[in-house]
Amino acid sequence: MNEHIVVTINGKEYLAEPDQNLLELINSTDEQVPQICYNESLGPIQTCDTCIVQVDGERTRACGTTIKTGMKVQTKLPHVHKAQKESLERILEKHELYCTVCDYNNGSCEIHNTMADFGLDHQSQSFQPTSYEKDESGTFYRYDPDQCILCGRCVEVCQDVQVNETLTIDWDRQEPRVIWDHDVPIDESSCVNCGQCSTVCPCNAMMEKGMEGQAGFMTGTEPGLLKSMINLTKKVETGYGPLFAVSDSEAAMREHVIKKEKTVCTYCGVGCSFDVWTKGREILKVEPSAESPANGISTCIKGKFGWDYVNSDERLQYPLIRRGDHFEEVEWEEAIAYVADRMTEIKEEKGADHLGFISSSKATNEESYVMQKLARQVIGTNNVDNCSRYCQAPATKGLFRTVGYGGDSGSIDDIAASKLALIIGSNTAESHPVLASRMKRSQKLFGQKLFVFDLRKHEMARRADRFYQPKTGTDLVWLSAVTKYILDQGWEDKPFLEEWVNGFDEYRRSLEPFTMDYASNLTGIPEEELKRVAKEVAHSETVAVCWAMGVTQHMLGSDTSTAISNLLLITGNYGKPGTGAYPLRGHNNVQGCSDFGSMPNFFPGYEPTTDDEVRARYEKAWGAVIPKEPGMDNHEMIESIHRGDLSMMYVMGEDTGIVDANIHYVTAAFEKLDLFIVQDLFFTKTAEYADVVLPAAPSLEKEGTFTNTERRIQRLYQSFAPLEGTKPDWEIIQLIAKELGRDWGYTHPSEIMHEAASLAPLFAGVHYDRLEGYGSLQWPVAEDGTDQPLLFTEGFPFDDHKAKLYPLKYEVMYDTDEEYDLHVNNGRLLEHFHEGNMTYKSSGIKRKTPSAFIEVSKELAKERGIEEGAEVKLLSESGEATGVVTVTDRVRGKELFLPLNDNGKSAINYLTDNRVDKDTNTPAYKEVAVKMKVLKKKGKSPIPYNNHRRGNPVPQIGVKVEKKWQREDYVFPGSQGGR
Amino acid sequence: MAKAISKIKRYEVSREDQVEQDVQEVKEAVADHKDSILKGVELLKALDDEGSLDAMTAFVKAKDETLANVVKEIDKDQYEPLLRNLPELVFLLGEIDMRGIRELSLRLNHGLETMKGRGTTDHTSFLDLAKALKDPEINRSITMLLHFLKGMGK
Repeated sequence: MNEHIVVTINGKEYLAEPDQNLLELINSTDEQVPQICYNESLGPIQTCDTCIVQVDGERTRACGTTIKTGMKVQTKLPHVHKAQKESLERILEKHELYCTVCDYNNGSCEIHNTMADFGLDHQSQSFQPTSYEKDESGTFYRYDPDQCILCGRCVEVCQDVQVNETLTIDWDRQEPRVIWDHDVPIDESSCVNCGQCSTVCPCNAMMEKGMEGQAGFMTGTEPGLLKSMINLTKKVETGYGPLFAVSDSEAAMREHVIKKEKTVCTYCGVGCSFDVWTKGREILKVEPSAESPANGISTCIKGKFGWDYVNSDERLQYPLIRRGDHFEEVEWEEAIAYVADRMTEIKEEKGADHLGFISSSKATNEESYVMQKLARQVIGTNNVDNCSRYCQAPATKGLFRTVGYGGDSGSIDDIAASKLALIIGSNTAESHPVLASRMKRSQKLFGQKLFVFDLRKHEMARRADRFYQPKTGTDLVWLSAVTKYILDQGWEDKPFLEEWVNGFDEYRRSLEPFTMDYASNLTGIPEEELKRVAKEVAHSETVAVCWAMGVTQHMLGSDTSTAISNLLLITGNYGKPGTGAYPLRGHNNVQGCSDFGSMPNFFPGYEPTTDDEVRARYEKAWGAVIPKEPGMDNHEMIESIHRGDLSMMYVMGEDTGIVDANIHYVTAAFEKLDLFIVQDLFFTKTAEYADVVLPAAPSLEKEGTFTNTERRIQRLYQSFAPLEGTKPDWEIIQLIAKELGRDWGYTHPSEIMHEAASLAPLFAGVHYDRLEGYGSLQWPVAEDGTDQPLLFTEGFPFDDHKAKLYPLKYEVMYDTDEEYDLHVNNGRLLEHFHEGNMTYKSSGIKRKTPSAFIEVSKELAKERGIEEGAEVKLLSESGEATGVVTVTDRVRGKELFLPLNDNGKSAINYLTDNRVDKDTNTPAYKEVAVKMKVLKKKGKSPIPYNNHRRGNPVPQIGVKVEKKWQREDYVFPGSQGGR
Repeated sequence: MAKAISKIKRYEVSREDQVEQDVQEVKEAVADHKDSILKGVELLKALDDEGSLDAMTAFVKAKDETLANVVKEIDKDQYEPLLRNLPELVFLLGEIDMRGIRELSLRLNHGLETMKGRGTTDHTSFLDLAKALKDPEINRSITMLLHFLKGMGK
């Protein structure tokens, strides 16, 4: 049981946890101690010296003190107060208070508030500027050494939270300051612009550029005038009292102009949430908070700074209808009527199954729900699918086969807490940056072991305790061999298997072929190494496995996902904190889009259309007859168009013509459609083939919910109204349904969610009231609102609550050959998203990373006689792509890497073909063999000088405050002048 | 056969239609907020009658310039004592014993009043002075003055 210890603070007794931090305890009581560098999300940094208290007769920093039994603490004694005051004054020597004309004066400036709370009225030493210039070189934030108090929060967050290890404080120089790498400008450093330094900075030293000159009523003035005003405020002030009164009033006035609404990030599946600060349609900054359930204070470049697309000039503002050789902008009424008429015509003439619907993983759960309702209720077809078909459907399949729920088995907290984390086929640091940071932190500070299996030596591979490069598409083999070896050694979790798992004997037999010898031959990983992996997995207290497209986008994607789950079952790594299977979801709502029924075989909550009882429930609620047989998935829809079995497609929020495999085949299908409706923010490549284009509104312009990779449902709030002429997707779909004779009458997305919750038992207790603000629910959600952050704690969702081991076979299905001798790997870049329709609209991001590039190994470059900047053409059996080469050791031998973030000539899907995962029809994007033709031997590097990939990080733990204390000019506050 | 095309014929709203639309929008807003708008009109009229409306308009139009002029001027060194005095003056006001001052000024007024007549023409000898000390009113004044001098010297 929890032991408590008693501590006396100012004569009053308090109960504390053993090893609790003293400042944390003080903050939980009514006692008050000034503090600036301390931040709950970062822990003690011990740089600002303001929280000095007396502990058992000695003056010391409260934040640097661990509680012990019987401790006596005094916070108010005159000499303690004097020391605190001295520290605060030292801070004001470094930081000029001109609050009223400061962009950071928004009520949350921690220096301002601490000084005001303390009642500091005068200061003995005046402000001393440094000899450094402001660093304005970066795209997204700037650093002002003259306002920096050297609290080191930015360093702590960069080193130990984001773990990009760019920032340090150079304590050795005359005037210490924050430096980037080995002291280069921000722009030329290894900084990845996650923006967390500006988030945690207690003042205006590290500030988002979007805030500059924007936040205050008088901060937008020209620099000369601003300086005069700063001087003026200082002259007029006789003490800080009046200054604070004026600046507090100004801050209160700002509240009426600056809107702060919570949203959920619309990029990857981590599901970061944060407040968006806006003035009209202008985005000042993105401010995550400690309450954000998935990310805390963390963000990546896209979530923090990648919102320019919302206000892009290229946004569509009128519906378009194809008329002859051009599109015509039309009014909404006309477009909706046209869509409805044409749909009706096709349905009457050819049948409901000639219509197909594709939902978007960018859209909300509510929008996925209404899309499938439109297909099933209004049209009467199950032809509805979503883009998870392109990525994680195989993972879902693998988990359904074995453990019964197609989602992450725990939370990001569990991944961070596991003793051993395996990453298989996932470039986590670039694809799921904030989640990767949690792992990097666990590994750096808390002894988590990290094993990475990947073709490419990406950041996580570089950091891994062990890194293996199995031959492409052979993960199933080593996974099964390792599992077999664990069983052969008798290392399996016998009690767990007995209590919770079915199908052991048959599974055991199926493993026979997977000997160490066989696995080693196929994967290229030495036997000894595989045995070591087996031993570690079997003997680690908790194991979590994360995987992504490197596993799923293969012809055996579902089977490999299943093999991962089998291994976890054999070693008992389900249902306990720190364990489980984590198929990292790629898009913000790829999980939710499937969850809420945009799947050809499932109603919302994964209830099969073939289940009569379930179907009857929906038929009754919707007053319609719904077909029993599953509809077509994305892939089948494209094939059916070619066969003439599908005549209409309605694609919401997806650039199918770029993101689906084998571009030529897909676009040729579009050309054959009778009616092609595309709903998007932009006039995409896909839209060029449309008959009707409907302009939609992005996440910041609407309400709804997204479900992240942790199965976490979170609300987004509206920052500003939809851009004139655009509508949220749910409203558009509702208009079409109404035109087709079904008036749903939803006035707010909450009504849609509540309808879905009333029909799908998986979401029974999901209600907007329970999701207020930063509240969230991780499905399954029981009617009383109980959710499940960690799944399987009380068994698996099968009749007898037991999981199933699923036997697998392996056969080689893909390889390079003599003609197509190179393997093309592809994936994401940190700073761009998907085909780039959103991120390439950000001039800041484009400036740092203007285009995709082709990574070529040093060996291959030498063999083909090419150098950095060479131009090459890649030819596969399906098509060709051209691009500029960067030579790097991130890839090896005859493997190339091509980021998928491009929609021009370098688009990967010019190369991919119709190969799919045999169980889910997910394109085998990762199985592409090409030959390379050199167009130019060398040239300008595609990686600009100011790209973070060229930087040189300086890893260390924390801010190294000891070095500050060792400085000759450092004196512990209060020790001069005596008591 | 729907080939990829990217030509878009823009929707053109005629000037008249646009005006029509905008007017309609304004009309609706006026109807929705009739009371506030009427009050606003009254406020504007009051300001105009006072002549303040013109001044305000001019000020707002030249806001940046005026602000810059004032701030740059005031920031000059010559104003520094003034700027420092301003807040000091405010604090001074807070410290002064107003009741005492009022009493003192009342007495000063009495004194001035009495002085007006013969006080400006008569001659006073040393003996007159000694005699005058016996006059209770003069004695009180002298005592007060002596105490004041003592206090000021502290």
